[in-house]
Amino acid sequence: MKVVEGLSKGIEPGSTVSVAELGLPVKGTNGLLLVFWKSP
Amino acid sequence: MYLGVFETEEACRAWKEEYGLEFPVIADGDGTLFRAFTNGWVPWSVLVGPDGKVVFSENEFDESGFSNAIQQMYEEPSAGKPIRRRGGSRAAGTVILGGGTGGLVAAHDLRRRLPNSHRIVLVDRSRDHVYQPSLLWQIVGQRHQHQFRRPLNRLERKGIEFRNDQVEEIDLESKRVRTGSGSLNYDSLVVSLGAQLVPETVDGFEQMAYNLYDPPGCAQIHSALEDFSGGTIGILITAMPYKCPAAPYEAAFLTEWFIRKKGIRRKVELHLFTPEQMPMPVAPPALGDSIADMLSARGIHYHPLFTFKELRPETREVVSSDSRSDQVDLLIGIPPHQAPEVVRSSPLLGVSGYIHVDPKTLRTQHDGVFAIGDVTTIKLPNGKALPKAGVFAHSQAKVVAEQIADAVLGRKSDASFKGKGYCWIELGDGRAGFAGGDFYAEPDPELKLRQPGRTLHWGKVAFEKWWLHHWF
Repeated sequence: MKVVEGLSKGIEPGSTVSVAELGLPVKGTNGLLLVFWKSP
Repeated sequence: MYLGVFETEEACRAWKEEYGLEFPVIADGDGTLFRAFTNGWVPWSVLVGPDGKVVFSENEFDESGFSNAIQQMYEEPSAGKPIRRRGGSRAAGTVILGGGTGGLVAAHDLRRRLPNSHRIVLVDRSRDHVYQPSLLWQIVGQRHQHQFRRPLNRLERKGIEFRNDQVEEIDLESKRVRTGSGSLNYDSLVVSLGAQLVPETVDGFEQMAYNLYDPPGCAQIHSALEDFSGGTIGILITAMPYKCPAAPYEAAFLTEWFIRKKGIRRKVELHLFTPEQMPMPVAPPALGDSIADMLSARGIHYHPLFTFKELRPETREVVSSDSRSDQVDLLIGIPPHQAPEVVRSSPLLGVSGYIHVDPKTLRTQHDGVFAIGDVTTIKLPNGKALPKAGVFAHSQAKVVAEQIADAVLGRKSDASFKGKGYCWIELGDGRAGFAGGDFYAEPDPELKLRQPGRTLHWGKVAFEKWWLHHWF
């Protein structure tokens, strides 16, 4: 399901993310799987 | 961690409780992270490694693919590990796995380019090549199986060895393929094993649905349509991705034409259920709209965004994940697809559940190993996946054959897959449409639908005749 039109490719593999700056409730990380979801 | 896009904290809590989820479910209420990480589609999954590097970023979901990627993330890097080489002095040549469209074309093109001293072996568990586009004509009685099957051992007379065998293991380190009856060493490997149909993963499929994607299923559909006197016919796409994006729509058009010709159109309701938001969603919306208009003009009820949940054979119901149910008397099913088991159990498996390859060279990350056709995933500039279709396997096979031949002959290769593709769309009444163009165009594929007509239908028939004559 397309939720937002006009976005480009999404974040590319190999990019670097600062998990601490995402504002997510996670403390330190050995890796993080984010799954974006929306109810139908 | 799940992020509910434009959802409230309450909705996320309710969802976590409803499904008994043990991981955090939080709201991305204004979609800030969603906009930063995705291309606008849900679901979207991003795996970030311990070092902050994004390992994958995908719209498609495949449990085995994800597990494999996560496992690899925690394994010791293999770079620098010595690679065992096979013994013996004889050149191993090229091994091609799969005798479908891609394998067939790759074998022929390679044979044409290289002397017979270069060994070419094609392995397939089936004795026959099946020209799959003909299946659609089989459902309306215009073809029988024997008309579009050809024995693969005919390749032997062209200098291509054929092994009728099951591929059991791909040993990338030793450059060896293990089959049911032995092993084959390779210098170059072309994986063209296609997408495997797994109807057995849907409870009730065998009791309630006929499989549109295999010859016995299509023979059953034809018999059922012959016997059908009235009621509801459903065409169900159980899951994405599936091969040949036009096929379910063509099945709908041909079925409608068949029941009209039979004189029972007024007694039949025809429904098409799909998780897609529109027909052929990779294409520009205008193309999908044209096909939706053609469905509507023929009185075919179209149900996009129908996320299939289950079949209930006892009441003949098709049920969606939002608990909507539709009763059908005759069900034509497109079963879930997955990469073949030998790929799923190998390091070739990507997070999408298929093999990730370089979009232009079709090379995998493994030395000398190429993958083509439905067993691959290629991400397009717009973030969606290249559709699974024979036309792409065909041109990818030529690109791979050229690269392998250039390498063997010591030449620099500039062979490149350009992302061009097309397909006919059968409409019944002896008419067909034609859509095609550049799938690698940026930012979106540039495709056009040609005005349907009889000439295009005969073009599709002529291509079938050419295919079955040319390769065999």
